[in-house]
Amino acid sequence: MITRSSLTIMVALGILVFTGCAHVVEVGTTAAHDAGLIPKQDKDYYDRRAQETESSVRPMTDREEYYVGRAVAATVLGRYRPCRDERLNLYLNQVGQALALASDRPCTYGGYHFAVLDTDEVNALACPGGTILITRGMVNRARNEEELAAILAHEIAHVNHKDGVEAIQRSRWVQAATALGADAARQLGQGQLDELASLFEGSVGDVVKTLLVNGYSRADELAADQTAMIIMVRLGYDPNGLTDFLARLAQEQGAGAHGGFFATHPGMGERLVEARATIAANKWRRVDHQVRDERFAAYRS
Amino acid sequence: MRGKCWILAAALVLVASVAMAASVKVITQQAVIRTDKRFFSPPVVTVPYGQLLQELTREGDWLRVQYRGNQGWIHVSAVEEQKVNLSPLMTSKAKETSQDEVALAGKGFTPEVEKTFRAKNPQMKYDLVDRIEGYRVSMEELHLFVQDGWLREPGGAS
Repeated sequence: MITRSSLTIMVALGILVFTGCAHVVEVGTTAAHDAGLIPKQDKDYYDRRAQETESSVRPMTDREEYYVGRAVAATVLGRYRPCRDERLNLYLNQVGQALALASDRPCTYGGYHFAVLDTDEVNALACPGGTILITRGMVNRARNEEELAAILAHEIAHVNHKDGVEAIQRSRWVQAATALGADAARQLGQGQLDELASLFEGSVGDVVKTLLVNGYSRADELAADQTAMIIMVRLGYDPNGLTDFLARLAQEQGAGAHGGFFATHPGMGERLVEARATIAANKWRRVDHQVRDERFAAYRS
Repeated sequence: MRGKCWILAAALVLVASVAMAASVKVITQQAVIRTDKRFFSPPVVTVPYGQLLQELTREGDWLRVQYRGNQGWIHVSAVEEQKVNLSPLMTSKAKETSQDEVALAGKGFTPEVEKTFRAKNPQMKYDLVDRIEGYRVSMEELHLFVQDGWLREPGGAS
């Protein structure tokens, strides 16, 4: 016999299943089962349905990734002003856009754009979708175009791998993608838009926190280095640009440099070892880059 | 009699090929169909987001497509495959939105969501984002930059 309480619990679980948050559902079903409100088979049923809903949610589209990326960039640009050196910005975009075309994801919804942030801090950030921000402090550490290309290719790799949107809490995205149901009307009510805007804000917060505070995982950083070198080699850059740059940063890190980039990018030494091993395994040789060195010097002067 | 059979066979082949014609949807704000399967080849036509293109052939990462009577090459990352088939007769009246888009309407992060978010957060530096998104290098400039730096042409047919 179904009691009023167990019916209420079942309706509540049904709603939770619909939102697709499997973890929340499991907590709820366990509590309800322990309290004797629902039998074991009902608990298993709701847990299974929640997992199915969560795993079947659609991935974020390129256009949605673009809107998240714009908001991430707008947040970062609230903390750091962009540099107004148009000559430097043009050069950065020439190097960066050529590299992006050589990547596995050359076309994104809004395209790739590169800008220098006017700060001495050392950092480079890839906003989802393809806007890449690099600090003046980072640009000044590059000694030639190969090293600058290595920094940009690494950030392009994060865009290729969609590492930014991966930082968004799964439950948040599941709710955004499914909360309004299959019959959602084309015209949303203000309440629904407010709900989505709130989920959007939370998602942007997740990405910003990862970019500026927590950093990506060690595995993501190593994978981005690998992809960066492949992009560089495809375009004709010397992949040793990455190892030369990493070697100097590892030295700085070893000497006690901290904060900003060094806080979000620990383990520079390990990255250097891995990158050198990749170059050796692929038998990539050093490339003559005098022409580009001269071009770099002209832009820096 | 024999002539009629040929006409019938030809009609069947035509119908079969029409039915098999795959279509792809543009997923970038603006996608360029080019004369050759290279980013630095001249553009044929620019196509806005959401338009359907008829896929003719594929070579490496490039698709030969047809759009409103224009044929050319587009990079695979600029489009997504559609499950629905597209008759050439429909190409000129290609729908603005595809079926999956209609199904998704009102869900996820749409321009309306950004608008609502911006209204609630007027301090956000969207003006600077728009300025940075305005940094574009034309393919002609980029081609020269690549050549001058003794680099290889990116994104050629693989």
